[in-house]
Amino acid sequence: MTAYLDDRPRPIRHPARFIAFGLVTLLAVSGLTARLFYMQIVDGGRFATLSTRNRTVEEAIPAPRGLIYDRAGRVLVTNVPTYAIKVRPADLPQDQRPQVVERLAALLGIGVTEINASIDSNPGSNFDLVRIASDVNEQTALLISEAGFELPGVEIAVEARRQYTYGPLLSQILGYTGPVSAEQLPGLRPVGYLPDDLLGKTGLEAQYETDLRGIYGAQSVERDATGRRTQVLQTISEPSPGDSLNLTIDTKEQKYADTALKWAMAEVGLKRGVVIVMNPQTGEIVALVSLPTYDNNLFARGISAADYRALVENPDKPLLNHATQAHYPPGSTYKLVAGTGGLADGKIRATTQLATKSYLTLGSTRFYDWNRRGFGACNIYCGFGHSSDTYFFQVAGMLGIDRLGYWANQYGFGNPTGIDLPGEVSGIVPTNQWKQDALGAPIYPGETYHAGIGQGYDVVTPIQLVNAYAALANGGTLYQPQVVHDIVSPDGEVVRPFEPKAIHEMDVPASVLETMRNASRAVVELRHTYNLVELPIKVAGKSGTAEFGTRDEQGRLPFHSWFVGFVPRDPENGSFDEPDSELVVLAFAYDSRTKGNVATEIVKYYLQQHYGIEKDYRLPDLLERGNFYQSN
Amino acid sequence: MGVIRAQPARATDWAAKSVGAAWRAFDLQLTTYAVLLVSVGLVMAYTNSVEDGAVPLEAGTTFSRGLMWAAIAAIVFALATTFDYHWLKTLAWPIYAVQLGLLVLTLLIGDGIGGAARWIEIGPLTFQFSEIAKILMIVVLASFLTSRGRKLDSLGSILGACILVGPPLALVMLQPDLGTSLVFGAILAGMLWMSGASLRWLAVLAAGVIAMVPVAWTYVLRDYQKERLSSFMNTNPDLQGAGYQLYQAQIAVGSGGALGKGLTNGSQTQGNFLPVQSTDFVFATLAEELGFVGGVVLFVLFVLLLWRVLVAGWRSKDAFGTLFAAGVASMILFQLVVNVGMVLGVMPITGIPLPFVTHGGASLVSMAAGLGIIQSINIRQTRAAW
Repeated sequence: MTAYLDDRPRPIRHPARFIAFGLVTLLAVSGLTARLFYMQIVDGGRFATLSTRNRTVEEAIPAPRGLIYDRAGRVLVTNVPTYAIKVRPADLPQDQRPQVVERLAALLGIGVTEINASIDSNPGSNFDLVRIASDVNEQTALLISEAGFELPGVEIAVEARRQYTYGPLLSQILGYTGPVSAEQLPGLRPVGYLPDDLLGKTGLEAQYETDLRGIYGAQSVERDATGRRTQVLQTISEPSPGDSLNLTIDTKEQKYADTALKWAMAEVGLKRGVVIVMNPQTGEIVALVSLPTYDNNLFARGISAADYRALVENPDKPLLNHATQAHYPPGSTYKLVAGTGGLADGKIRATTQLATKSYLTLGSTRFYDWNRRGFGACNIYCGFGHSSDTYFFQVAGMLGIDRLGYWANQYGFGNPTGIDLPGEVSGIVPTNQWKQDALGAPIYPGETYHAGIGQGYDVVTPIQLVNAYAALANGGTLYQPQVVHDIVSPDGEVVRPFEPKAIHEMDVPASVLETMRNASRAVVELRHTYNLVELPIKVAGKSGTAEFGTRDEQGRLPFHSWFVGFVPRDPENGSFDEPDSELVVLAFAYDSRTKGNVATEIVKYYLQQHYGIEKDYRLPDLLERGNFYQSN
Repeated sequence: MGVIRAQPARATDWAAKSVGAAWRAFDLQLTTYAVLLVSVGLVMAYTNSVEDGAVPLEAGTTFSRGLMWAAIAAIVFALATTFDYHWLKTLAWPIYAVQLGLLVLTLLIGDGIGGAARWIEIGPLTFQFSEIAKILMIVVLASFLTSRGRKLDSLGSILGACILVGPPLALVMLQPDLGTSLVFGAILAGMLWMSGASLRWLAVLAAGVIAMVPVAWTYVLRDYQKERLSSFMNTNPDLQGAGYQLYQAQIAVGSGGALGKGLTNGSQTQGNFLPVQSTDFVFATLAEELGFVGGVVLFVLFVLLLWRVLVAGWRSKDAFGTLFAAGVASMILFQLVVNVGMVLGVMPITGIPLPFVTHGGASLVSMAAGLGIIQSINIRQTRAAW
């Protein structure tokens, strides 16, 4: 650079190179311009859409869930605003997750494993919110909100939670709402459910989910690259609140039934029991109690794993509605079937006398009556009234198993009643065909005997049994039991009015049912049910004692107790000649093993409360515990 | 090449010049285009500041820092204009030493993102010496090639230039700053071209560079560089990874349409979908908010500026001026094409700033110095008429 002799300023001007340089410049910039033109003008629309999609998302606006009222207009469930803690896994960096989860666990008082399980069982994609905790108190929500920077991916949502006014009293009917599960989501997503949505899981909340849910609205929301909502742009559609349910249930009656059942359970030490109160003229369920039960508010708040485990592991199955979701042997209450069938098929008449010995012999087997002395010559009133086993062995024998099965079906046994509660089971009505299919053998004659007294293969749900006696009480119409009376839209319009739903008319002369109603009254009048006859109201009905399980060392079986009773429209002066009853009550006591029939005492106590009977007719002496299988 | 007049650089020549004559030779157009480009950059800094939710004039925002750097750049520009560029030839070797020193210093104490050492902190400011190094490189190369005199078209000139560019280029690569090292290459190519270097040897050189590409790909480039280089060619890019920036930039550009969404209304920028929106991807914001029209105006400004730079080179009565202008023009053109091409998805992602517009002190200051020297060249060509 230095020491160069010819180091004098002299220009170098290569015009061709200058022109080439200029051309390259123009060419390059023209290329950029063309590309810009293509992107912005020619293809601009596509990018504009992408840009809009980039920043705006359509978000659902949850609709307020419909409310539930009892038949007197009492509010059974309301929506209360609560805080929920949710996590968007995509925004939670893997390396920070342990610290974040630990922090959340400490703040929320939930286990680390539980939170991890929630995140990992995320039903949606990584970009969908996962519910970590529901019903978080304001203080905690505030703490989490303040720690926002240390808790990436954690969001606080204000949402409505179900508040069940009466908790356990109505849990079996109302059920509860809970988060959408991973299995449910694929089916629910197309109909507008969100991955962190709540829906009815059981009970009426599940049964009437579509009515209660309402229609979610939508809004377009602007968000930034991290997914944070920056502003709501517009409401696309307003949410429309869910419809409300008016129940046939009367909370007052429910409390009576609950009180009666709980009293007996405490007195005897029972583990399970059911009381159902029904209007036989319409199929309306006025009260339905299944114990043990649970508090549906626990679920609405987001039940803890420990509480849930305790419920699931409880051998008496508090989550099960024993009135509809479980079946039990009906015992002597089932004699209604054989009696009705015998009369209707002309095997017996009301006046036909059958000898009731202490036992019947079939081949080499003796079939004993519960009363080892027998009742002598008995007609249907005597046989049903004393619940004579040998009487009904004979009637069942005359009918045969298939005719017995036919009449059981006529009363609705063997099929779900169609009550508007989820998970109903159908029970079993044994016939030749059934046994052939199920066990590969025909029915033996002895099994027909047992079926006649409700001790064979036949099992029924309490709702089936109460429905059968309702058909007896109303003159032969089998109604579908209903828990929801009518459905009302948010603006007060009745969307679905109440309508009794007849399943079928029984194929039976009215006189046969009249005879069976009076035979049921004979049960009370013959003091088979002790002092029930002394009540200032007229009750007819049938008790039942059904053995189950395994014999003790003395060869005795544990047993359940049943009683189904009904009362004429005019409780004091009415007669059972008329099919005008508006009240059927059933009580079921699982594994009762009491001296007397505890179910009868429960029904009695319920009726005392219902009719406001001051005098207490209950007989606690009968509730002495001990295996005294003597009274059907 | 017409009349050759030997004009030794003597202090007396410059001292004798009148201010008026100098002013007439001063290229007002060049300055105007540069000022307009810087203004575009400031407008972009403003809109980015607003979209960040900041009060633009508050200390520390992109806009207020941009204003400060613009002021510094104006001073640098004025100083460079008044400074006689002939001295640069004399100072070429020390300048080369300074250049290498700065780059070594950057490697030793520099800060950067992801293990890269690119910035030097000076008090509250960060400074990228490689930007200054580019201008210094042009000075050094111009001096060298000028000194080659009549032997400019020999292989020796080409090799010498390559040898001079080698160490700084390697030092920048080590930072690692692939973009800036490519700019060094572009400067070298542009200056050799304009010096009238032998086309044959230039072709050989070009072939050699192309042959080196696979080697460089295998042994020199780091994985992230390869990923960035290749992501623009990928038709189905990884939108969460290296392709994300590019994809978002293209959405920003494309959604701008003919007239843009209006300043401060760029939803891509506002929503932070677009990373590094005020630096390397500033053109995406511009195209989104000012649309096709804004983009074309920017291109026109660049073309006009390049024209004025080339005119200065053409008018220069000494080789140094011509070569210096060629270097500056090559640098600006290369950076424009690569930066904008990157945003438009036709060039690989390299961290090359858009001259004048990209927010960045060192880049602006070195551009100001470069244009100042061009003006210095302009106003010192008038002696003949005097």
